[in-house]
Amino acid sequence: MDKIIEFIFSIRFFYAFCSLLAVLSAVFGMTRQMQMFQQNSYFPSRYLPWLKGDEKGKFILRALFFVTYAVIIGLGGVLIAAGLLLIFAVGSIIKSISVQKKSIIPLKFTMRVKRMYASLIVIGIIITVLQYLLLKGESYWLLSLNVLLAVFPYLSVLLLWAVMYPTEKMITKHYINDAKNKLASFGGKIKVIGITGSFGKTSSKNILTAMLKEKYEVFTTPKNFNTTLGVVRSIREYLKPQTEIFVCEMGAKKTGDIKELCDLVSPDCALITTVGPQHLDTFGSVDNVFKTKFELYDSVKQKDGKVFTCGESEEIKSRIGGKDVILYGSDDSFSYYADNVEYTAQGESFDLHLAGETVKITTKLLGSHNVMNIVGAAAVAHSFGVSAEQIRFAVSRLIAPEHRLEIKRYAKGSTLIDDAYNSNPVGCLEACRVLSRFAPMKRVLITPGLVELGSEEYKHNFRLGEVAGECADYIILVGVERSKPIREGILKSGFNEENLFVAENFGAAYNIYLELADSNTAVLIENDLPDNYLK
Amino acid sequence: MKIKVAVFFGCQSVEHEVSIISAVQAMHSMDREKYDIYPVYVTKDGEMVTGEELFDIEKFKDIPKLLEKTTSVTLRRQDGKVVMSFAKKGVFAKAKEVVIDVAFPIVHGTNCEDGTMQGYFEFLGLPYVGCDIVSSAVGMDKAVFKDVLKRFDLPVLDAITFYAREYAIDKERKADEIIEKIGLPAIVKPVNLGSSVGIKKANDKNSLIDAIDLAVSFADKVLVEKAVTSLREINCSVLGDSDECIASVCEEPFMTDEILSYEDKYTSGGKKTGGSKGMASLSRKVPADLDENRTEEIRTLACKIFKALGCCGVVRIDFMIDTATDTVYANEINTIPGSLSFYLWEPAGVPYKELLDRMISLAFRRQRKKEDLTFTIDTNILAGVKLGGTKGSKGSKI
Repeated sequence: MDKIIEFIFSIRFFYAFCSLLAVLSAVFGMTRQMQMFQQNSYFPSRYLPWLKGDEKGKFILRALFFVTYAVIIGLGGVLIAAGLLLIFAVGSIIKSISVQKKSIIPLKFTMRVKRMYASLIVIGIIITVLQYLLLKGESYWLLSLNVLLAVFPYLSVLLLWAVMYPTEKMITKHYINDAKNKLASFGGKIKVIGITGSFGKTSSKNILTAMLKEKYEVFTTPKNFNTTLGVVRSIREYLKPQTEIFVCEMGAKKTGDIKELCDLVSPDCALITTVGPQHLDTFGSVDNVFKTKFELYDSVKQKDGKVFTCGESEEIKSRIGGKDVILYGSDDSFSYYADNVEYTAQGESFDLHLAGETVKITTKLLGSHNVMNIVGAAAVAHSFGVSAEQIRFAVSRLIAPEHRLEIKRYAKGSTLIDDAYNSNPVGCLEACRVLSRFAPMKRVLITPGLVELGSEEYKHNFRLGEVAGECADYIILVGVERSKPIREGILKSGFNEENLFVAENFGAAYNIYLELADSNTAVLIENDLPDNYLK
Repeated sequence: MKIKVAVFFGCQSVEHEVSIISAVQAMHSMDREKYDIYPVYVTKDGEMVTGEELFDIEKFKDIPKLLEKTTSVTLRRQDGKVVMSFAKKGVFAKAKEVVIDVAFPIVHGTNCEDGTMQGYFEFLGLPYVGCDIVSSAVGMDKAVFKDVLKRFDLPVLDAITFYAREYAIDKERKADEIIEKIGLPAIVKPVNLGSSVGIKKANDKNSLIDAIDLAVSFADKVLVEKAVTSLREINCSVLGDSDECIASVCEEPFMTDEILSYEDKYTSGGKKTGGSKGMASLSRKVPADLDENRTEEIRTLACKIFKALGCCGVVRIDFMIDTATDTVYANEINTIPGSLSFYLWEPAGVPYKELLDRMISLAFRRQRKKEDLTFTIDTNILAGVKLGGTKGSKGSKI
């Protein structure tokens, strides 16, 4: 009995206890770093820049704490040091809980994260045990790696990343093989369609899926799972045995990304929407963007499959060709094309030409980009035997994402084009052009203009004004001060000043609108919620 | 990767045995390259069991012995999938589990074919072959079936329906009332049984009372309609869903009695061959000896009825032709027909294997149509509300 008490109060045990306290701090202190590491897809190359920004100013405090702690130990203040560790541990736990509670995207405890935490605990315990066995009672014990990890939590994350790297690689490989095997087990009975492009691939994927579903059991990569691991996960978790067609969205941030995906799913058919200057920081050049997107084309050609791509882009046209490449566009030089585009209170309607067959399409998806998305998807679906009638039905049921060129009924029977969530300059100009197509209806624009664009703000708002002046019959600006640049742009376009209104706030703008509105009015509400006007 | 199909059959129904024959037949015809088949036999007690023995029709001659070899199963929903778990055999055995992709009910009669089993699958969120709850239920109740068809201006014979209790008060008076309104001869049917169970023809008042007595022993609700004296029965099967459907060739079953009886349908053929072969073995003429116009009339009617009820998969619709007036009437519908009417599809160019394949595809098609519609709103209304007050969320902003 005495021996046990003696043991508990022995300095070695006390130090071991302190070491475990440090492990506890390290484990809980890591939450926020781990959360950010996870949100940067576990890539140190993406996590470190964030860390650099976040650590500004904090590093000094951490270093100061560590030095103070070391000095206290050096001066023999062992109990004070232990007390500090205890306070630190409690603080870490409280902070960890608040991070999880307050974050919009808290740390998700996936298997990978659990493995990392388990490794950290194992490492901490090993260090503690080693110290206990190897050292006697020197006070520098209290300055172990565990304390370092507790004070600098990102060191834990990086250490764990390095330690787990070979294991994670192996696990990833296993998952990839598992996904490949699952696809192979369909014995060629499943057709894979790969979709890529710089813009519009998610919309195209959704439209194509709706069309194919008219005839087939379709599996589509959910949300924006378009990386290799995202696709692997969706195959392993969601692919069902009855699937006949697998529509796989393929994202790329650097050369070789698409090839990796093609090696995984080996597509039978490809839809390349548009290619443009996107992710140039990682691609290096526009040429590389094209090269990467065309990795899909190379892969499909090996399987004698067809490649569908938008022929409107000269750059695409000049780079690929051949009998396996099917171009679509907006005139009869293509076998798949749309023309006679009209806008009515029901939405957008056009003639869809499918290799000789023509159907009149009406859709609630507005904008010329959506027309092209529909034509591209229809070309693929048609080549899979989906009839023009089925395509028409599928398109008629599509709805726009909320507040993104969403067409609705509005006050006094007027037609609302709700583009409240659009705040990017190019998108706003496109929305104005959509509004202009609603002529001969009375066209009204309500907008507070663009915000949070920094030094470019004046320029973009002025440009918006210029375009808006040509696209609308009436314009109601919200906010007297901030709408000045748009107002200047509008007036420069030669717009009749009598039809231009400036309202103090949304309520006032709405009241002005009520005076103008009738059942033959189309109103575009840009960059603000239409409901705000009603309050 | 094969599709896992659970074939449900048996059930607490008067047509229990017929269902076994139909199901075993179907399981032997399914494409084994494409499907993994799990037979799920529902005993007369309502217990669900599975096992390899259930593929063998001979084994059903001694059911207690058969049940010793089978394993009881339960279905449950987990992680968006439907899992069938097998009861543990022995204390240390690990319970086997399998994810089921689609259910294939091959059941006949009340307590199963009438929407009951379909409701079970809907509740589990498991895609299933054949008619949905409403079409199954309407198809089972002969009186409601007539009402629905009338609403769509489709031809049915007029009928009287009443309940057993109403009839028991004064049998004679009820019989007189029927004779006055409908006339004799008349046909008496329990409203919700298939395969001609409990159906009898009455030529006079006494036989009418006997016939009703028989009918009320099978169902609480009884239907009496005028008997067509010079009639031909013509059956036609329909395959598809409410978007698109096609009709099979027509058949004309031959009657040994005045009405096609239960024995005719399922046992008479069996006597000759030694083992019952179900509907497929009944003496009949396929295709029915009808002129082209009449055939087309019946096939078109069959598709209209199929759509009016919102059917799916394969059904068989039985028609009557009153040869005296040369009029066609729809008589009844079998939402899960005996032998799945495969013998009407083979002459129409659809082999049994393909028929089953198409039926399963239709099940998946209905499921994906359903999934595209909104059933639940993603936001939890309760999440933003302070609970505890008795007024609930009234007035609070969500």
